[in-house]
Amino acid sequence: MAKTFERGMDIPHYKEQTEHLPVQELPQPTELIIPLKQHIGAPNRRLVSVGERVKAGQKIGDSDAAISAPVHTGLSGTVREIGSRITMTGQLEDCVVIDVDPEQEPASYTADDVSQLSTEEIRRRIREAGIVGMGGAGFPTHVKVNPPTTIDYLILNGCECEPFLTCDHRLMLEEAEEMIAGARILSKVLGGAKVIFGIEENKMDAIEVIKKKLAKEPGMEVVPLKVKYPQGAEKQLIYAATGRVVPLGKLPAEVNVVVQNVATVKAVWDAVKYRRPLTERIVTLTGPGAVQPGNYRVVIGTPLSHLLNCTGGIRSDVVRIVMGGPMTGFAQTTLDAPLVKGCGGVLALTSDLVRSSPEYLACVRCGKCVDHCPMGLYPNYIGMYGELGRYNLAKEWGALDCFECGICAYVCPSHRPIVDFVRHVKRA
Amino acid sequence: MGTDLNLQAASSPHLHAGDQVSTAMRDVTIALLPVTLVACYFFKFNVPFLIMVCVLTAMFTEVLFRRAMGKKPQLHDGSAILTGVLVALSFSAATPWWLASAATFIAVGFAKEYLGGLGWNRFNPALFGRVSVILFAPWLVYLNNEFFYWRVSFPGIDTVTQATPLTMLQMGLPLPNMGTFFIATQGGGIAESSALALILGGLYLLYKKHITWHIPVSMLATVFIGTALLGQHPVYHLLSGGLLLGAFYMATDWVTSPITKKGQIIFGVCIGIIVVVFRVLLAPTEGVAFAILIMNAFVPLIDRLTRRKKFGEEKAQLIKQTVSTGANVAVKS
Repeated sequence: MAKTFERGMDIPHYKEQTEHLPVQELPQPTELIIPLKQHIGAPNRRLVSVGERVKAGQKIGDSDAAISAPVHTGLSGTVREIGSRITMTGQLEDCVVIDVDPEQEPASYTADDVSQLSTEEIRRRIREAGIVGMGGAGFPTHVKVNPPTTIDYLILNGCECEPFLTCDHRLMLEEAEEMIAGARILSKVLGGAKVIFGIEENKMDAIEVIKKKLAKEPGMEVVPLKVKYPQGAEKQLIYAATGRVVPLGKLPAEVNVVVQNVATVKAVWDAVKYRRPLTERIVTLTGPGAVQPGNYRVVIGTPLSHLLNCTGGIRSDVVRIVMGGPMTGFAQTTLDAPLVKGCGGVLALTSDLVRSSPEYLACVRCGKCVDHCPMGLYPNYIGMYGELGRYNLAKEWGALDCFECGICAYVCPSHRPIVDFVRHVKRA
Repeated sequence: MGTDLNLQAASSPHLHAGDQVSTAMRDVTIALLPVTLVACYFFKFNVPFLIMVCVLTAMFTEVLFRRAMGKKPQLHDGSAILTGVLVALSFSAATPWWLASAATFIAVGFAKEYLGGLGWNRFNPALFGRVSVILFAPWLVYLNNEFFYWRVSFPGIDTVTQATPLTMLQMGLPLPNMGTFFIATQGGGIAESSALALILGGLYLLYKKHITWHIPVSMLATVFIGTALLGQHPVYHLLSGGLLLGAFYMATDWVTSPITKKGQIIFGVCIGIIVVVFRVLLAPTEGVAFAILIMNAFVPLIDRLTRRKKFGEEKAQLIKQTVSTGANVAVKS
């Protein structure tokens, strides 16, 4: 019996389209739009100016604040513009726009002996490489691996519980070696924490591959997890893998656990071993409206339009393009937003799949949202009071403890936009 | 590319399970089909006629009230139709159509739409309408006199005057054979025609996951144990009167029952206790209707008292206040 958490629900995972497709390189774009802030924390200041030549791997934005992560350009070129551009979330962010050189000189990186590096040096290299959580949250990794408590477990999040996405799945299959090496480094930084790979059982091939490679690795194991959404949510994953419950409003360090996404850990390896900055990632292009679905390695800052142009565009019946996963990602109204560190998927969805609630009904108290809420909240009451503007009551029923997994709005037979109400309450 | 894109601005989640309120309403209506057919066998055309009257009244009332309150009618959610069917089935086949129509008018108009529409009603609309015409019976005499010459009657209702099994039980009369009683009996309300058909419909709703076992089982078990303890015949109690209709179709109404499973069990047990008190100690009929309506009033309280722990919470906080009134959203659409 695979381990799991309480409540949550089975959502069709639609991964068949891309789970067997090896990662392909995407042709080089002609421009990069690199948001200066791709992390949670203090904003970066730019380190380049318009007209300046930049080399591949050059740092273009950084900050002195403790919670921040620098950004780099993955390709050489000339800075054309620095200004507000639309990003994945729909918000305007300061971006560095680079005209990419058609002829690229590949950046050269030398391999260091990792075992000789001090913990301080490892953390410094992680920070310098601009590594942030690549599962979507974007929390700076060097901060996360410097917790105030001792750490018993480092959990590697390979759940990929969001439907459609297969980028982490392919990474675990194709770059398992580097990922495990990265985990070894982080385990060392965390004082020898035991490493657990949490992987959902719909990725049996990845589970087998990693199990085999871990056979002679002490202190590391794979824990197969039940296929259930949101298995990859931090607190739910910790509970499933270790049985520990993170107290409400507290961080995983409270129960001596650190969680890292598998792609992040692979990036850590590159950063520590080669001092290679985080300038590329795997993105799953999929959905019924995608002409050439697949897993693509893209340079951070590649415009969404370039990815679609290179893959045959989208079908004409696409009504929604989502960046990120279908449950927590962001709908795009233009194709201008760049692919960033935290974006694992681009979905071209057709009208038969998408949720839309222009004319939702009142709550009929069917209780489905309550049955499935992974946090044990009462989305029915939160939604009702949020809609009425009675924010205190909405908070009493748990609005502030919601992490917006989206199950409530997914199951609601009245098609109520419950997550929107929650966001509304949080902002009030 | 370059085609004219028409991308929707929308917020997450971008998928939907596909459930709809109207599907549930339709399925409950389908679940009532077996018992309706058995009733048609006994009471002939009187049954579809009464159902037709109630459904048309329900739809008319919804449109009337929503228009008057400045809202768009939402007949497509199917709740008006279901309420009409439920009201009709709770009457006996010999009921004059204007009485059933009046009950439906109260059910849809006052118990539901006036309070804000589907979702905002505190009491089960069908039961509220049904019980209202009992309580207002003295005033409805006028209605009876006015409409008497408009009465519609079809063959097949000559046997209705016989005592219902529940009254026979209470009066100590010899009871019909248990087997026939289970499969089909004439007497009482339309929906009391067949316990078997009601159970079949209930199983269909369980299978479709529109209801869970918690309310019906806790309610029926309580009545079974309660009547047995008081020296009555528990099986006859289970099979007679509106108990099965109430347990599977009325008490399980989403809007008017508690939201958590724990709350639902408390709700079911309390209804069961009240039913036993009504049936054994007080008036012989409509115990189930009153019991469910009484407990409907306690649903917000049950929800608050049974509040579960959040994931990672030490101890569930008690919610002190809850307000649910549709008045505030009356002009939403």
